[in-house]
Amino acid sequence: MLTVTDLNAYYGQAQVLKQVSITADAGQVVVILGPNGHGKSTLLKSICGLVERVVGAVIYQGENILGQPTDRIVNQGLIYIAENRELFPHMTVLENLKLGAYAKSARAHEKRNLEMVFDLFPRLADRRNQLSSTMSGGEARMLAVARGLMSNAELLCVDEPSLGLQPSLRFEIFSIIQKINKQGKTVLLVEQNIPQITELADRIYVIEEGRISFEGSKEEALSNEHLKEIFLGM
Amino acid sequence: MSEDTLFLIYELIDVIISGLTNGSVYALMAVGLTLVYGVTKAFNFAYGSFFNLGGYLAWLMIPVVGAVGGYVSIFIAVIPIMFIVGYGLEKSLVAPLRKRPEWEMKVMMMTLGLALFMDNLYAVVFGGRVKSLPPILEGTLDVGDLVFSYQDIMIFFLSIGGILLFGWILNNTRIGMAVQAVAQNPEGAKIVGIPEKRIFAATFAISTAMVGFGGILLSQKYFISPMSGGAIMVKSWVITAFGGMGSIRGGLYAAFIIGMLEAFVGYTLGMSYSMIALFILLLTTLALRPQGLMGRA
Repeated sequence: MLTVTDLNAYYGQAQVLKQVSITADAGQVVVILGPNGHGKSTLLKSICGLVERVVGAVIYQGENILGQPTDRIVNQGLIYIAENRELFPHMTVLENLKLGAYAKSARAHEKRNLEMVFDLFPRLADRRNQLSSTMSGGEARMLAVARGLMSNAELLCVDEPSLGLQPSLRFEIFSIIQKINKQGKTVLLVEQNIPQITELADRIYVIEEGRISFEGSKEEALSNEHLKEIFLGM
Repeated sequence: MSEDTLFLIYELIDVIISGLTNGSVYALMAVGLTLVYGVTKAFNFAYGSFFNLGGYLAWLMIPVVGAVGGYVSIFIAVIPIMFIVGYGLEKSLVAPLRKRPEWEMKVMMMTLGLALFMDNLYAVVFGGRVKSLPPILEGTLDVGDLVFSYQDIMIFFLSIGGILLFGWILNNTRIGMAVQAVAQNPEGAKIVGIPEKRIFAATFAISTAMVGFGGILLSQKYFISPMSGGAIMVKSWVITAFGGMGSIRGGLYAAFIIGMLEAFVGYTLGMSYSMIALFILLLTTLALRPQGLMGRA
């Protein structure tokens, strides 16, 4: 479904990604681990057209989407769900969700997706008329994921959904991501060092200093001493 | 009541009406300018020249459509032209600058240059002599001894109508919500797939259409001359800064306060003092409340 080949990304003079290649097959959960500031988020953002200078190839459904503006990429079924949420603060939950369905490809499915999202996140349904800026960290995170789902995307690029959440909420958000995956969505998930997510992963990549330093199944990851120590916290 | 007090009351009512009429048009213009600043973070110093463009285009059309009753066709023709001009200018002049470092300053300089260019172009094309538009509706509405001109009434209600229409578009249409999304969180807007560049251009176009509309309305009461846009630009910016940069509600309040202030100062001290009063108000506000009336600190 997605093949990223030899991706190099730059912020100004600094090269953040170096020859990064990853693949994700339809229906998989692909987890990207790595320490803070080593390029995980940049990889997701590069795929979704949110980084200015990127060289390489991002093949999605057989087409190279690298260099296309984000609105076209969203329209083709990819969505980035930001770690810092990027909500619209002076709008209600419902308005945020409706804007999530801004892409042409999402409009026809807006009603159905709204029902689906309220089903997954009953708390958002209760708070649909509340301003997003007045929500707690956990609820705002749920809203960010829900807004991403409203785009009707097939591939979700989820950036550290557990960041800053207490363990029970982390567990909740991971189980929701699992549910979404079961419904047929492909998930590209970035995390720092959470053991629980290896449970979800069909494939794991580790990025260190902008390069892929490990690639393999969750069994391989779990038997790798270096990984166990550093990223899985075991 | 003595004749003198009655006379004074009538005079005061006149002043209030003048303040309300001007205030309503200022509100229309301030809302447009606030919108552009709030969404695109670009200063548009050619705003006053676009005001005059509306006035001149309407003036050109007067002989074609005939004055009275012809205003409907003027609005139908001029407002879309203003929209297209605004859209084209954003795409061709503002958007390329956006990619450069310190683009805000560059846009400011560019629009200032554009204003000079447009004002001088008006002087070449239309000559230095002042132009005026006939009243949109002749006659007066007499309520007892009070006399209201239909022109003032029309200007007031058309401005308010324009603002309400604008508010409706902003809150009830997909593009309006997208405009607000870009203003509130540009990165978030990009993420959900809102085509930012098109929204910037559309916002610029909407504000150009609004100030052009204001130009048609107010040029019935005041003369249009090639350089008269300058005062309008200054006034629009004073209102926007007074109301709070980027706050539409603040801009609305500020416009009426300033319309009233202008009318009262004009009545008591003379028109030439109104600009001075405006700046005293602005300086006091900025000293006491730098973010303006409703701005977010």
